[in-house]
Amino acid sequence: MQEEIIAASSLCVRLNNQTILDNVNFNVAKGEIFALLGGNGAGKSTTLKTLLGIVPPSEGSAAVMNKSVKTDIDFIRSKVAYLPESVMLYGHLTGVENIEYFLSLADITCSESDIERALVRVALQEKAWRQPMSNYSKGMRQKAAIALALLRDAPILFLDEPTSGLDPNAIDEFNQLIATLAAEGTTVFMVTHDVYGACQIAHRIGLLDHGKVVGMFERGDQSHINTEEVHSAFSKRNKR
Amino acid sequence: MKAITKVARDEWRFWHRTKLAATIIVIGTILTIASAVINTIKMQEAMHERQHLQQSSEAQFLDQPDRHPHRMVHYGHYVFRTPSTLSIIEPGVDAFTGTAVFLEGHRQNSAMFAEQRQASGMTRFSSLTPSFLLQVLVPLFIILIGYGSVTREKEAGTINIMVTQGFNVWYLILGKYIALVACALLMLLPLIVAAIWATFNGESALITSSFVSGYIFYILVWSGIVLAVSTLSSKNSTSFASLVAIWIMLCILIPRIGSSSAAALAPTAGKLEADFSVLEELRKLGDGHNATDPAFEQLKKNLLVKYNVDSVEDLPINFRGTVAQYSEEKLTIVLNQFAEKRMIEELSQAKIARQLGWLTPTTALRSFSMTVSGTSLETHHRFLREAEQLRYDFVQSLNNAHQNILSYQADINRHKDNAAARVSADNWQVLSSFSFKPDTAQTRLTRSLVYGGQLLFWLVVVLVVLRFAVRRVR
Repeated sequence: MQEEIIAASSLCVRLNNQTILDNVNFNVAKGEIFALLGGNGAGKSTTLKTLLGIVPPSEGSAAVMNKSVKTDIDFIRSKVAYLPESVMLYGHLTGVENIEYFLSLADITCSESDIERALVRVALQEKAWRQPMSNYSKGMRQKAAIALALLRDAPILFLDEPTSGLDPNAIDEFNQLIATLAAEGTTVFMVTHDVYGACQIAHRIGLLDHGKVVGMFERGDQSHINTEEVHSAFSKRNKR
Repeated sequence: MKAITKVARDEWRFWHRTKLAATIIVIGTILTIASAVINTIKMQEAMHERQHLQQSSEAQFLDQPDRHPHRMVHYGHYVFRTPSTLSIIEPGVDAFTGTAVFLEGHRQNSAMFAEQRQASGMTRFSSLTPSFLLQVLVPLFIILIGYGSVTREKEAGTINIMVTQGFNVWYLILGKYIALVACALLMLLPLIVAAIWATFNGESALITSSFVSGYIFYILVWSGIVLAVSTLSSKNSTSFASLVAIWIMLCILIPRIGSSSAAALAPTAGKLEADFSVLEELRKLGDGHNATDPAFEQLKKNLLVKYNVDSVEDLPINFRGTVAQYSEEKLTIVLNQFAEKRMIEELSQAKIARQLGWLTPTTALRSFSMTVSGTSLETHHRFLREAEQLRYDFVQSLNNAHQNILSYQADINRHKDNAAARVSADNWQVLSSFSFKPDTAQTRLTRSLVYGGQLLFWLVVVLVVLRFAVRRVR
């Protein structure tokens, strides 16, 4: 049995007398890419925020590496690299300076060659390394953020709508990078409303609707999850 | 600590690269330097001019030829309030209260040569004194530099990355606070240089260091306000709009409301009204120029009894001189009562306005700055009291010469034989030289304690709000 990295058990979140997450259950194994798929207001971002300790669970439990988000959030945050939907980093700093700065805040010392190796690994063009990040595209910013995660040695990646706004080439590059990282043992938890993208990259998809997990899809022996099946379930839920 | 310094250094790097902040710092520092230099030249000139005028006024008085002593009483004398050394930064009430008093018999003249009294309404806004710049404009510069310190991180999402990396937000805010304070302190450099100059020019080191500390506290308070609002706001625009509103309220509206409400809460009589009241009281005392005024009948009787003579002509002293002396004494008591009442009223107005230091750090600093530098209303009042003492002493000394040196006969026949009704110019030596000195360091510091307390109170409040703001960032 594979090591369980992320687990939500009977997780409920209520905010302002509204139930946002209702009895959510899922778990993510080490090296797995898990996508939580859902439309607007389904509760995807709340799930992510709960796992990051930003929103507290009202009932049930959420744990990362067997540590509760309620009691061990500092430990969890030290293991997680989070990429928000719009990764900006600092526009006035270059890619290398940004990484250097964020690493220093985490009290991690890295040589410039370590940073360059990480940037090569995420396939960020060399000419961009020392350009101000204000000139970067979203895809380039994501690569820089992932390079930062690699250097932090974070075993878990949390991605919020990672492919929105990326061109098809950038999506392919990104998917490839994530697949490589997962193959090397990084656990990836992403929330998205992109059915096609999720099916292409994820090992498993949890379909979230009105705060409930209403379906679970697995890749099985196939190279990717059956898009039509997921699309049909997703459309049915979103038409209601 | 390492992380805090790293954040501070990055903030400086951001300001350096974005140019805007660097421009503001340069403009702010140049403005303060220019204003300090201009004010230093102005105050130095004023100091030398007033010292020179004081000496020449004394010399002119002493150089007067032999004449009737009462003509010297009306010839009068000027006294000038020399500015304190720190007035190069904080002119205080100097521009509003007048700096010279004409001293003469039977009258207490108001101080003259108040710059703002001769200026039009609009000129008030153009007098950019260093204290005005530091108290009103520097907070605006701090706002322009720092309003986006935290909202920038929120808009870019970098704060989320930091939080989810487990980085302590308090360290982030502290780092930014240190950077903003250090940046704002650059604009205090002219003040620090001026304080060092003042120390070398005789001002107490305790005073100059307290003076600078007050302004440092002010920078700490405003940097805290800017950081707290930026931390509590979600957008740059919200943070900027809120801070400008706070600036208008704390730096302009509340101090203005303070002086207006002080005038309403502790009203003082207008100048005309006060002058009429004084005149009414003085009339009851009789005319000191007229020895036959019924008001001096009792004095006459007492003297005749005392010297056992039948008429004033037989008195061994000049009765007209005695009347002048007696009348001056009585009217000075009345004049002093009115003057003291007016000064108490003015001071109570000032104290009411200064209480608003609990509502705005600008008023707290203004009160602190003026009391410590020795340019406050209290110092001006002491100048008026010292001037009055000098006036009374020299007028009474001249009246004494009138009474004891000039004969009564020569005096009453002065219109027929003017030469006989004169006394020697040696008698003008009664004038003591006047040199106005600021209060002692201890007096000024004791007086400013409450305003220092107000600044400290503001710093504590701002740090508590900042801590609260940080807790809201998750």
